[in-house]
Amino acid sequence: MSSSTISLYLDPQIRDWVLFPITVVMILVGVLRHYIVTLLQTPPKKLTRAAIREQRAVLRSQVLRATAAKSPIPPHIYHAISLHLDDAFAAGKYLKDGPLKPGEAPPAAPNILSDPNAMDGMMAGMKAQMVMMVPQMVIMGWINFFFQGFVLIKLPFPLTLGFKSMLQRGIETPDMDVRWVSSLSWYFLNFFGLNGLYRLILGSDNSASQSSQEMVSPFAGAVQQGQPGQPMDYHKIFSAERDNLQFAEGLYNWLGDDVETRVLRKYGKLPSPSSESS
Amino acid sequence: MDFAIALQKLASYRPRRNPTYKKTFDDGLPLLDSDGWKRRADSWEFLEVLALAALDSERYDVSDRCIKHLVEKFGNSPRVDVLSGIRIEAMGKPEIALEYYNRLLEDDPTNSAAWRRKAYVLRIMGKLDKSVEELTALLDTFYNEVDGWVELAEVYHLCNQYNYALQALSHALLLAPQNPFYVLEFAEIAYASGDMPLAVKMFLVTVDMTDDEDAPITSYQMDVTLRAWYGVKLSLRRLAPDTRSPSQTTLPANAEIIGKLAMERLQHAYEQRTQGVSTPQSEDDLLEWASTTLKPTPQA
Repeated sequence: MSSSTISLYLDPQIRDWVLFPITVVMILVGVLRHYIVTLLQTPPKKLTRAAIREQRAVLRSQVLRATAAKSPIPPHIYHAISLHLDDAFAAGKYLKDGPLKPGEAPPAAPNILSDPNAMDGMMAGMKAQMVMMVPQMVIMGWINFFFQGFVLIKLPFPLTLGFKSMLQRGIETPDMDVRWVSSLSWYFLNFFGLNGLYRLILGSDNSASQSSQEMVSPFAGAVQQGQPGQPMDYHKIFSAERDNLQFAEGLYNWLGDDVETRVLRKYGKLPSPSSESS
Repeated sequence: MDFAIALQKLASYRPRRNPTYKKTFDDGLPLLDSDGWKRRADSWEFLEVLALAALDSERYDVSDRCIKHLVEKFGNSPRVDVLSGIRIEAMGKPEIALEYYNRLLEDDPTNSAAWRRKAYVLRIMGKLDKSVEELTALLDTFYNEVDGWVELAEVYHLCNQYNYALQALSHALLLAPQNPFYVLEFAEIAYASGDMPLAVKMFLVTVDMTDDEDAPITSYQMDVTLRAWYGVKLSLRRLAPDTRSPSQTTLPANAEIIGKLAMERLQHAYEQRTQGVSTPQSEDDLLEWASTTLKPTPQA
């Protein structure tokens, strides 16, 4: 029998007592979650001067290397800076705990679990995730318990059979029209669809709408949050940077080397290189 | 405005450098009196700007009122701290300001803006050596503070330490390679240090960066270009074939053509700016005109 011939009549009570409450509860929980996360957030821990210095030391050589091929600074200064950085990296002058003593082995890569600073960062991430997960689980349980198998709404447009598993989760009927949406599916539709609404209510950087990013990859947020607290092995970074510096040394070219020819060509006082070579 | 940028701006604040402070003050005062500032979208930034403008206009009562509002709202934000510091500086007692900044730095040793102000206070107290020391320590930690490097170069320049000034300025060049003002300043310091080949090269780099056919003749950009051309000409004049460059810079090729081109550009600018009323009698006249007309580089 064809599903289109049979019409399902939904009790308006379902609309008033199931459909709307689910939506409203989800919106309110999202808003609440935003404020809880805001409350839970601890300001990022301040780094000490030495730690900042260590962190920014790599920046020095990166900045130097970034423009090496067309460097704005003349050779004598470039080589002085490059040499100085190379020496400093080799001697470990920028390390937070001072240069290594002779004979001392470089410390092993710091363990993320033993470092209290890193733990703080991880805890903050965990807390945010908990605030994200727990209400969702509760709502899902609530819907499963009270409204299992409810059909809530009929979509006003036809859909292919592939959407069945998406729209009729919790109802095991092979014959029902795909347009009918089950309660659990309505929950999922809201879960993914409310982000735009949260952005409207709470502003663009709210913590309620993170759920979709969390779904794409659980690490997507964690990497960003964990970065400042994450321990880095600066010994390795510095020695790698030394190689990079040597490489950049070979690339180095001063912008001023042939600037007079360039300017003269621009003003047509010298023949352009193409006509010169022909 | 981005918080970090705003802090940097405060850190490099100098009294009466902003040319429009008078207007800002006159426009802002009625708004402060009528509480109209509260309805502005940028109300708190407005208070900050007005506070600085009031300091420039020596209306300390007004700036105190602005700062009071800000302290009430933001408490101990570093931005408000530094603003209060600038207010203390304006009283003309650098010792008190110094102590204030020392206290800020004790509370938070990573407050780079307060650190920069401290170096500046030391500088106006005449303790240039201390100022350089602080700036060097600051830049050793916060390498990417372009303004800090420029400031260090300035202080070195004041003490005629051209080599150090050039080194400090090259860090600014590395960090902001797109800014022609730094290149021009580099060239001028090289000129002052007597390193003519280096000066010519850097002036020409400035020209290469800034000359734009479509730029209006009286624009800032044009001023930079013309000043660079003027610098090219002056350095070429002092350039003898056997000039030795302390920095081992090679002598510019085609020096003669470059010199001619520089004069040509200057002449062109002269004619355009004087509307062709008069023509310069000689090369020296033209250079004389250039030295008086072209404004010193604004601090970008």
